[in-house]
Amino acid sequence: MSTNWSETAGKLSNLKQQQDHDEFPRKPRMDSVLLAASLFGIAFFIYCVIRLDFDYYGIYRGTLTFIGSFANMFPPNVSDWKGILSAGLVTLQVAVVGTVLAVVAAFILSFLAAENVSPRTAKAVKGFASFLRAVPTLVWALIFIVAVGLGPFPGILAICVHATGMLIKVFSQSIEEVDEGALEAMRATGAGWLQIMAHGVLPNVFTSFMAWSVFRLEIDIGESVILGAVGAGGIGWEISNAMRAYEFNTVGFVAFVIFLMVFSVELLTNRLKTKIRRRG
Amino acid sequence: MEDRLKELQRQKKLQAWLVAAAIAAFTVWSSVETGFSFSELFKGGSEIFRFIFFDFLPPDFSKVKNLIGPALDTIYISFVAMIVGAFMSMVLAFFAATTTAPSKMIQVVVRAFSSVMRNIPTLIWAILLVFAYGLGTTVGCIALIITSIGTLTRAYAEILEEIDMGQVEAIRATGASYSQVLGQAVMPQFMPGFIGWSLYKLELNIRASTIIGMVGGGGLGYAIQKGIKLFQYQEVSLAIIMVILIVLMTEWTTSKVRERII
Repeated sequence: MSTNWSETAGKLSNLKQQQDHDEFPRKPRMDSVLLAASLFGIAFFIYCVIRLDFDYYGIYRGTLTFIGSFANMFPPNVSDWKGILSAGLVTLQVAVVGTVLAVVAAFILSFLAAENVSPRTAKAVKGFASFLRAVPTLVWALIFIVAVGLGPFPGILAICVHATGMLIKVFSQSIEEVDEGALEAMRATGAGWLQIMAHGVLPNVFTSFMAWSVFRLEIDIGESVILGAVGAGGIGWEISNAMRAYEFNTVGFVAFVIFLMVFSVELLTNRLKTKIRRRG
Repeated sequence: MEDRLKELQRQKKLQAWLVAAAIAAFTVWSSVETGFSFSELFKGGSEIFRFIFFDFLPPDFSKVKNLIGPALDTIYISFVAMIVGAFMSMVLAFFAATTTAPSKMIQVVVRAFSSVMRNIPTLIWAILLVFAYGLGTTVGCIALIITSIGTLTRAYAEILEEIDMGQVEAIRATGASYSQVLGQAVMPQFMPGFIGWSLYKLELNIRASTIIGMVGGGGLGYAIQKGIKLFQYQEVSLAIIMVILIVLMTEWTTSKVRERII
């Protein structure tokens, strides 16, 4: 499937490069800090398990019940397929509108958040973005639902707000990676700020902006599915309703539709990502 | 030749514009269907503003005592789910990677299995599981373990597939035993990616576990949901502040550990 999924996650790319540069593998030595960290990890794990105080017999029984209810999901009840598929469509629409708005907003703000092109506003905009990002989408949705009522509208707002927070961060990081020499050269020609942005920065970051937007759309479709569970419309609403009424065969069908939606989006975005990367 | 090049360029430009137009059209259609518009946004905007600044603030700090427990639960279940998920995925990844899978059949089955786990969101798993396990942290923990297995199996399998076989060959050529090959050639290549991905999943788990309580999975989400239902908005805002703190703390810690490894 995807060749470099890890790269998109953005966390590991540096690490990989580092590996490539090390021509002679160093002899692995045990870092004392790492050793301490892993010991702490083990101790903390044991502590967590004790504190959570699982009822193991309950888990065993629950698993049996779950498998039993799983059997009840077959054959899936497809009688309401029209309603469920249109709920799925609403979910997609919410995700797309939210993401597009977020991309537009983050596109503008990211130039103000990049240290190298606007040092004066960078700190403030970045802090604002990390605040937007730290509050989960679902919590934003709850706040907006209380303020404007149920329906897809608060869902769109919630997705937009959270996605803006993340996109500002990654967009501005891409801008900060632009070669300083190119900017210096443009400045030397007497170009204005907007001209530098449009001709110096934008061509360099365009592909990575696209890749990140596609990646964010993938996340947002997942988010949009769960937004329904708190009443923001869409397919999540259907599954929590069916579960409340113990209609397991309907639950089975809705779960299958959700799986298909997210799975096909994953396939599609992987395709797009490789395409964008090849071009870039 | 030049004409052909120009023609190709024009075609490419046209293609890009068409894609952009299609996206724009789909967005406009979606916003009409879902009833989203900017006038609506302005109407709702003042209401949201009023709600956040007058109903939510200031947070009611006297309730900190009640919320410490749920906040810790959130951290516990994410961490336990990450560790358990990581160990199970490590085993499964062996069967899912092209290079190490014993047979094609098993590989396909394990991949399909992890894809189902990964592609149904954590919260939906929690909704499905609440029926069987009852309310509480157990549901949250199991739901997180399920999605952790889904994500990490695939990630680890990809790391295993990218391992440089030359190093493995070299160690093998020295007459090393199987365990020595694993320890000296495979592990050093596997470790950085393994830790990186596990930490990333821990971050995702923490984010998911703060909201999993809304469907009965225990933790801060439950406090938020309950507070909103009872109109205790100032307690809710305190809980949200704690969510932010936990998320930022995790990000900071994982980035420190990551720096250390790299």
